Amino acid sequence: MKISRKNYFPIFILLTLLLLILMVWNICTGSVDISVSDIVGVLTKGRGNDTASRIIMDIRMPRVIAAVVLGGALSVSGFLLQTFFRNPIAGPYVLGISSGAKLVVALFMIFMLSKGININSLGMVAAAFVGALMVTGFVLIISTKTRKMSLLIVCGILVGYVCSSITDLCVTFADDSNIVNLHNWSMGSLSGMNWNDVTIMTILVGLVVVIAFMYSKPIGAYQLGETYAESMGVKVKSLRVLVILLSSALSACVTAFAGPISFVGIAVPHLIKSITKTAKPLIHIPACFLGGAIITVFCDGISRTLFAPTELAISSVTSILLVPVVIFMMLRPGGRNE
Amino acid sequence: MSKNLRTEKLSVGYGKKCVIEGIELDIEAGKIISLIGPNGCGKTTILRTVLKQLETLAGSVYVSGRDLSDMSGDDIAHFMSMVTTKRPVTELMTCREVVATGRYPYTGRFGLLNEKDEEKVREAIEFMHVESIAEEDFSKVSDGQKQRVMLARAICQEPEILVLDEPTSFLDIRYKLDILDGIYRLSREKNVTVIMSLHELDIARGISDKLVCIENGKIGRVGKPDEIYKDGYLAKLYGIDPDCFDEKTGTIILKEH
Repeated sequence: MKISRKNYFPIFILLTLLLLILMVWNICTGSVDISVSDIVGVLTKGRGNDTASRIIMDIRMPRVIAAVVLGGALSVSGFLLQTFFRNPIAGPYVLGISSGAKLVVALFMIFMLSKGININSLGMVAAAFVGALMVTGFVLIISTKTRKMSLLIVCGILVGYVCSSITDLCVTFADDSNIVNLHNWSMGSLSGMNWNDVTIMTILVGLVVVIAFMYSKPIGAYQLGETYAESMGVKVKSLRVLVILLSSALSACVTAFAGPISFVGIAVPHLIKSITKTAKPLIHIPACFLGGAIITVFCDGISRTLFAPTELAISSVTSILLVPVVIFMMLRPGGRNE
Repeated sequence: MSKNLRTEKLSVGYGKKCVIEGIELDIEAGKIISLIGPNGCGKTTILRTVLKQLETLAGSVYVSGRDLSDMSGDDIAHFMSMVTTKRPVTELMTCREVVATGRYPYTGRFGLLNEKDEEKVREAIEFMHVESIAEEDFSKVSDGQKQRVMLARAICQEPEILVLDEPTSFLDIRYKLDILDGIYRLSREKNVTVIMSLHELDIARGISDKLVCIENGKIGRVGKPDEIYKDGYLAKLYGIDPDCFDEKTGTIILKEH
């Protein structure tokens, strides 16, 4: 079977256009209708004091940018994990990394709130990173004991359940006032983003994704397997550590700001591969970022508008939309089978 | 001193466990050397140590006169490339792209190929006669084709020394011949030194300039095939009945029942 090599430029243009259209749609729709000219007005003349520009600048704009950044982060994280574990269904949610991050953030929140201390976003990200690394560390230890990837994934899922149970337990016994806060966050939601959050997440995610992109070459060599990568001069051990740190940092960022968002990390890299027909990291990492942003902006839009004014948890939307993709991908004839 | 491979009092093994001690090899440029011996005797361990994928437990390895312990992974990749029995599992890579990964040590930060790299890829593809499948999906071509592509990949890395771990195992006779022909031409036409492990004693007898036999934890006979395939030595090496093995050809003889 031949693989035709296309020019990737038009694909990137199309993905970017699609993303922009969805972003505009997201800003325009909601309990108050905003017109495209309102957006253009705010962007060109700066914010005014009218309702429209306040809704755009204070609520919808930060939210949609958060969806872009975090969605991109999720799918790049998923791609890195899939490469690392050489398994098509690896992802931050499936491997329990999101749940680990969630647990540590929940504990941290309860502890700090009980002391009456407010937590800033960086503190949340740090707590989430610790949680994410704990789970990845555990999965890595398991990976030295077994070569069976299926077992590894199952372990990740189980650890994820344990973490979720402990989180629920904490929520049950937390003070009433804390619960509301914690409950909203642990459902996974992009609501209530402010510019401060958006700035921090953009810097963090931007940095990590750029580092991942700079390592496209060794990551590409790693796709041929460790032995061959090593024979080409790749420092395999340090690359493994780097990939794990980068993917954990990305999922930690998402969990800290938006709570767990499921399946974007698994499904998007595959959707993108079926469009670009390549898994080359140099193309794939930026394409995945765009794809993740598109899917997340779209799903967030659905979660806000479908049963407005009631807002759905974003994971409800991503699961329903993306699980069929994941199943299709696993059953696809001629798919990767190891 | 170029293109040769030499070991001095080399001990190899995994972790602290020594598998073979006192390995003294001296392989001249452009020669084909095969390691033979029973399963699990440590052929792969030697090859992986020579590639610095395993630490040496004692002694030294010299690649083209340079001490291996002073060489970085990138240095080594400029001198040596390898092919193993295990074919890599790829995703959406054409055979040409797999071959092109051999240019890794020569390309820049992002691994983009320049004209010279493209030319080397083309040459390697022609050398192994895999032009017709160059644009096909590597994961969909036959095992034998995959191995030809992997050898082309190793050639494209422009090695002085080529390390092969059972390159012909699991292939049908046609692909065995293709791979062996490639290895032979590489050593004779491009003066590449080849060190490989082999299970097929008939092939080892035919292609090798020199054989290195590995007995329990040490190096046994070393020499030209004719010096090794005599006096029932190989039957002893593998622990088989001498009547079941034809030393002239290196083939198995089935006893009549």
